[in-house]
Amino acid sequence: MMNGQQDTGCRIRNDADKVRGIPHPASRILLAFLVMLSAACTKSSQQSTKVKPTPYVISIPKYFPTELNIPADNPMTVEGVELGRNLFYDGRVSGRSDPDSLMSCSTCHLQSHSFVCGIDNPRFPGGHPYGLSGMFTPHFMLPLINIAWVNNGYTWNGSLAHANPVKEKRLLEDMTWIVITDPHEMAGDTNRSKALIQSISGYPEMFNKAFGSSTVTVKNMGRAIAQFVRTLVSADSKFDRFMQGKAQLNEAERRGYNLFMTEMGGDCFHCHGGEANPLFTTNLFYNNGKDSVFTDPFDRAGFTGSSMDIGTYVAPTLRNVAFTAPYMHDGRFKTLDEVIDFYSSGVIWSPSISPLMHHVAAHGVQLTPSGKSDLKNFILTLTDSNFVKTAAFARPASLPGEK
Amino acid sequence: MKTSAVIKNVKITSFAAIACLFSVFCMLMFQSCNKSGVAEEGQPKATTLIVSFVNQVDSMPLLLDTLIYKNASSDYYLVSDLQYFISDIRLHRNDGLIYTSLNNNGIHYVDERIPSSRQWVINSSVPTGTFDSISFTFGISAEKNYSYRFPNPPERDMNWPDILGGGYHYLKMNLMWTKSGLSRTFPFDFHLGIGQIYRDNYIDPDSIESYVQNYFFVNLPASAFSIGEGQTRNMIVTMNVNRWFSGNNDFDFAKYPNMMMQNQVAIHNACLNGKNAFTVRFTSGGK
Repeated sequence: MMNGQQDTGCRIRNDADKVRGIPHPASRILLAFLVMLSAACTKSSQQSTKVKPTPYVISIPKYFPTELNIPADNPMTVEGVELGRNLFYDGRVSGRSDPDSLMSCSTCHLQSHSFVCGIDNPRFPGGHPYGLSGMFTPHFMLPLINIAWVNNGYTWNGSLAHANPVKEKRLLEDMTWIVITDPHEMAGDTNRSKALIQSISGYPEMFNKAFGSSTVTVKNMGRAIAQFVRTLVSADSKFDRFMQGKAQLNEAERRGYNLFMTEMGGDCFHCHGGEANPLFTTNLFYNNGKDSVFTDPFDRAGFTGSSMDIGTYVAPTLRNVAFTAPYMHDGRFKTLDEVIDFYSSGVIWSPSISPLMHHVAAHGVQLTPSGKSDLKNFILTLTDSNFVKTAAFARPASLPGEK
Repeated sequence: MKTSAVIKNVKITSFAAIACLFSVFCMLMFQSCNKSGVAEEGQPKATTLIVSFVNQVDSMPLLLDTLIYKNASSDYYLVSDLQYFISDIRLHRNDGLIYTSLNNNGIHYVDERIPSSRQWVINSSVPTGTFDSISFTFGISAEKNYSYRFPNPPERDMNWPDILGGGYHYLKMNLMWTKSGLSRTFPFDFHLGIGQIYRDNYIDPDSIESYVQNYFFVNLPASAFSIGEGQTRNMIVTMNVNRWFSGNNDFDFAKYPNMMMQNQVAIHNACLNGKNAFTVRFTSGGK
């Protein structure tokens, strides 16, 4: 049978050769050589084309940095983002299925508040979240805005960074397992979380489409959620439209803008950016003069060990601050007015205060009442109301396994 | 006969086509190998100039965040951040040729906290010969110093507000200082860039009448060197931080305003001092 097949095969090939007019034996050798080379070249690509997710391209807004912080081993894909969006909103990521104990990223990260929990949150009074164990998080929340451009480490002290000696605590992707296991947050374990997600109809297919394997892993959960979080781009405020020549600042906003951008005014721009840095943060770390006594083990010094980093935290973005009260790492200021009052006359000296707080001898920049009002008016031009309503950032209509 | 000839032609044509295809394939293979291989004979070997930036305080190495330095006015100080731009490095050859480096558009950013920024490799097009001197622009010249040219950090964070003239800080040096008898340190933001002239000296953005370019040229005549084909030369540019605070105008931190961006007189005085802040030397051992 085998021989017969081979014979038949030879005969067919010979017939084909005649049709193609390639009877010369040397030609056949050459052709075979080329075919083999061609096959070798395409073999690897055929293997990797088994699952081919659709690339997701983040559109870079005008004046934004052109370099995105996306790890090479977690490229953005449509399928990955969609999976991440579902996981972000799915309380079963906590490894629990009882309705009373579900917790997802979105339990605290609310779109309506630029992905902080908000000062008016009925579950977390005052805007200070706590985990399933009832323990409060060490710090208040940072908004999830324009995270794709964060390049100096995540969290208030920037410890989720390449400089972290623990290699599993360096990337945005690592945040998922950290949150699942953190006693201040989901207080769970990763085996239980991935087993539960694996068991939910629909998720294995989504993992396969995104990562080429229907086996749920916490690593791929982290990759997917990180991809979704990187899509949360805010670039449609009045100030953005002003920069694009599509809107005008009113007189109060313009005066506030001048205060924001001048050293002898409010001098906000050195730490919070401005026209040339529309992220409205440098993503760098400063002791802005809030205290003279320091007890927080999770400040920047808690990560770097440097005495000059005591009381130092990242400068958060000022985009959408209208939605992100309370303010500072410890939520001490409930309103923007309180924040502006602090920078105007409440700054306190300490040995590690940032040199950029050069008004410290006068306890602040000493704004007049009208100056404070103007500055606030400008800061409110950074409000992007569409960001908190964008459907692509919202909870999907239904999650896998939901009826 | 005719049929046979046609068949023969077909055979020959087919074989020739395959042979041609094979030849093209082989040529492509060899060509791609050649690209990553050694330069062909006859091509001039690339010359390379490696510029290293060393920041120090008099004869002491600069240690950030360390309160050990003293200026001519007996202020003790520490440097928290030191960032600056050097641009348009020019090599003056003894036959009159002036070579201007266009690597990175001729602009280089130095940041004491980023070790890689303290070295600038200028390769591929450095001419050979004997050079009398080098010069460069401290900061960025007017035609190149426009806003938004650096969208990414760290250069982005050197931006100088448009309302104050735009472009980028030439230099950003954040200090804390103290004096004998004082019990604490005080901030001093030594920032240089485009200055402003205010109507009636009323310091308000709405009173700005004109802007002043404060970048300056640094000529280092005692810097003769030669560079041959295929050679690498190491040039070390040393900046003495203390020179910024003394010379034409001594900076007593207690008497100067601790912010300079809206003080053209202070920027001007600092720049006069800064012209003497740089020295250059070459290290031996070029290949």
